[in-house]
Amino acid sequence: MKYRFLEIQQNLKFRVFLTLGLVLFFFKLFASGTASALMTGFNELLVILTATVFIFYLKDFVHNRQINPLTLVMSIGILNALIFFLLEFSDLILGSFFGNIEQQIAHPGLIFNLVYTFYVFIILSSIAYVFLSLREFYFYREKRNKTTYFNTMIIFFILASLAALLKGMPEFAYIWNTFLIISIILIIINSIKISWIAFIVKKDKVTLLILSTVITVLFIVNLVNYTEDNINRKLLTSFSPSIAQFTAIIMIYGVIYFSILFFTTLFHLPTAEAFDRKAQEVSSLQYFSKLITEVLDFKELTETITDLAVKICGADASWIVWKSDNEYKILANNNIGYVDANAVTELVIGKSRKGIIDSTTILDLKKIKTANLLSVNYNAALFSSLRTHNDIKGYLCVARKGDISFDEEDISAINTFSDYASVAIENARLVEESIEKERLEKELDVAREVQRKILPAKNPEFENLDISSVFIPAFEVGGDYYDFFEISQDKLGFVIADVAGKGISAAFIMAEVKGIFESLSKFSSSPKELLVRANQILQRTLERKSFVSAAYGVIDIQKEVLSIARAGHCPVLCIRGNEVQNLTPSGMGLGLDFSEYFENTLEEKVIKLKTDDVIVLYTDGITEAKNSKLEDFGTKHFEQILLENRKLNADEISNKVIQAVTLFSQSNSQHDDITLVILKWKQKVKINGEEEWQNLAPQLKNMTM
Amino acid sequence: MAEFSTTIKEHDDVSIIYLKGYLDAHTTPVLENTFANLIEKEKYKIAVNFKDLAYISSAGLGVFMAFIEKIRDNKGDIKFTSMSDKVYNIFDLLGFPLLYEIFKSEEEAVNKFKENKKVED
Repeated sequence: MKYRFLEIQQNLKFRVFLTLGLVLFFFKLFASGTASALMTGFNELLVILTATVFIFYLKDFVHNRQINPLTLVMSIGILNALIFFLLEFSDLILGSFFGNIEQQIAHPGLIFNLVYTFYVFIILSSIAYVFLSLREFYFYREKRNKTTYFNTMIIFFILASLAALLKGMPEFAYIWNTFLIISIILIIINSIKISWIAFIVKKDKVTLLILSTVITVLFIVNLVNYTEDNINRKLLTSFSPSIAQFTAIIMIYGVIYFSILFFTTLFHLPTAEAFDRKAQEVSSLQYFSKLITEVLDFKELTETITDLAVKICGADASWIVWKSDNEYKILANNNIGYVDANAVTELVIGKSRKGIIDSTTILDLKKIKTANLLSVNYNAALFSSLRTHNDIKGYLCVARKGDISFDEEDISAINTFSDYASVAIENARLVEESIEKERLEKELDVAREVQRKILPAKNPEFENLDISSVFIPAFEVGGDYYDFFEISQDKLGFVIADVAGKGISAAFIMAEVKGIFESLSKFSSSPKELLVRANQILQRTLERKSFVSAAYGVIDIQKEVLSIARAGHCPVLCIRGNEVQNLTPSGMGLGLDFSEYFENTLEEKVIKLKTDDVIVLYTDGITEAKNSKLEDFGTKHFEQILLENRKLNADEISNKVIQAVTLFSQSNSQHDDITLVILKWKQKVKINGEEEWQNLAPQLKNMTM
Repeated sequence: MAEFSTTIKEHDDVSIIYLKGYLDAHTTPVLENTFANLIEKEKYKIAVNFKDLAYISSAGLGVFMAFIEKIRDNKGDIKFTSMSDKVYNIFDLLGFPLLYEIFKSEEEAVNKFKENKKVED
């Protein structure tokens, strides 16, 4: 909206200028030659009005372009060259073409008037552009409001220009002189402080020095040409004496401004380099602090850091050393080979005591003999520590090739920068860690889901077996597995297993183990045979470092017999009467050995079941549950609870155990899966030739409740 | 939480690894690195001292399984010494005593290595 408004304004100014220009053109065509004061006055009024509108039109144009000072200087130079040619050749071309100029001015023909107006327009618009450019320079990078100074100067320019009208009367010449001298004094005062020079880089300063010399000379030549009595002067003075004068003043302004600019630039040159470096430092830090919030990719970040480090202290190469597991690693290297960076790092860190550099260190590589082994001859290296929470995490290093070593200023620059860099690196690392953590959590979700689906949804129902099972998963999937297999009407197979390791890999092995047991249970009649076969199958897929502990048993309900084999698993407990029997037939874990040795060391135990026998299968999640003092729940504690509650039914017993474990480990998190399977044998007895259940009564009681 | 660390002491040509702290699924990489480094240096006669080990999980046991084959192929061995009853119980349940030699003291383990060497000679 604002822009559109500006556009309309611009258009309006341009239209007014065009109208005034046309009026002026016809006025010149028809009313020239009359020398009355009224006509002269009207002519001046019209010219000044047109010029003012044009300047205002051009002002916005110049101002809106946001030009940098060097291009502005260049355009002034080009316009000056144009004026130079016009002034130089106006005599030659216009003179030969139109003959006597004075006559032509007095009685202008249409063609002469066209050329005349066009010529004046070119000169004046060039001067107007130069004037506006000088005005831009005046306000460029200016912190204080100096409009009043500038406007005062302009007022005196106008007064001096108008006073030129009085030149014909020598008694008033002092007025013109006075205004001109005041104008010049104001120009000098206003031009003396050229502050924007400081912000230009050294290379541009050199260019500026040359340009300002050329332009000053051009301005002087033009000014001299302009004030000479030639065709140009005749044309412009006849056009408007005041505008002719204004043009001269602007040229004076140009001469003064550019000669002052020349000297200012000259005096700024020696400090240019230092200033450049400071400016570079500041802009690098600005850029970098912006980057910290944007770049989270670790590699990109470290590359940027080395890149900026080189710029900040004018080094040839830069690299980042990072400490991990007491070893230094190169994270990023810029302009230096990995081998060289490593060699210099080792030199520097090797030279220091304890292998740590506390303060920023400059190393003179020339004095070290082994430095000759580097593929590039570095002269000096500078190491600045990267710290987080006062711990040295690594170093930001820079190196130089030439004869110049690093100085105090480089140290302070690199230190400031490495403070920023440490924060950025730490940030990026934390982000990377949290992404990794999120990924692991997702993985664990999958693992838990797999485990949940693998475990039996409900316990099988046998008339003389009371079965209970509890599974409490740990946050990180522990790899526990239990299952029941109804082999036939009077045979129940059951397994409990624990996969070594945690998480998704444990969950996958678990799934495999389930498949193996599920299919083998249908064909293998003895637990030993089944485990031997399972071990053989696992050989094909199991990694060397992983193994599975398992216990597999079969209860023959008809024969009232339990046969059990154990492959490295916790003992199977049998609570009979007042004692706990540990059923620990020998046998090593599945996946530990694949030779015949496995089979040879595997035992199978068979026991005759007695009424109220409680068979307990568990994983080490129970016995190794820990309290706040990191003490184990322990086997004794576990057995004691089982004994105390042996008369309860399977569900109740397992509730008691879980309660005790939970209470014991309440102040510590659960590290491993907890699995508890309880089978209580209820013998059948025969009454009146019919089969009856010995402990039928309590069951009935339960049913009526 | 719980920390785990290893230190190595050389006794003639036998490397003794001292385990300290809690060896579980999270800390196994430390022990794995220790073994990998020894194997890289072609040190295949290794005794592991469990004196200061507070806890070992099944994943911790897996580390020994991961390296034993390579070590035995190179005429070396891993022998265990100075286990607490609790740690021994875990090894025993899994059947590790069937696969590894377990000694009461470090000295016995080192002597066993020496004896084997004499037999070879």
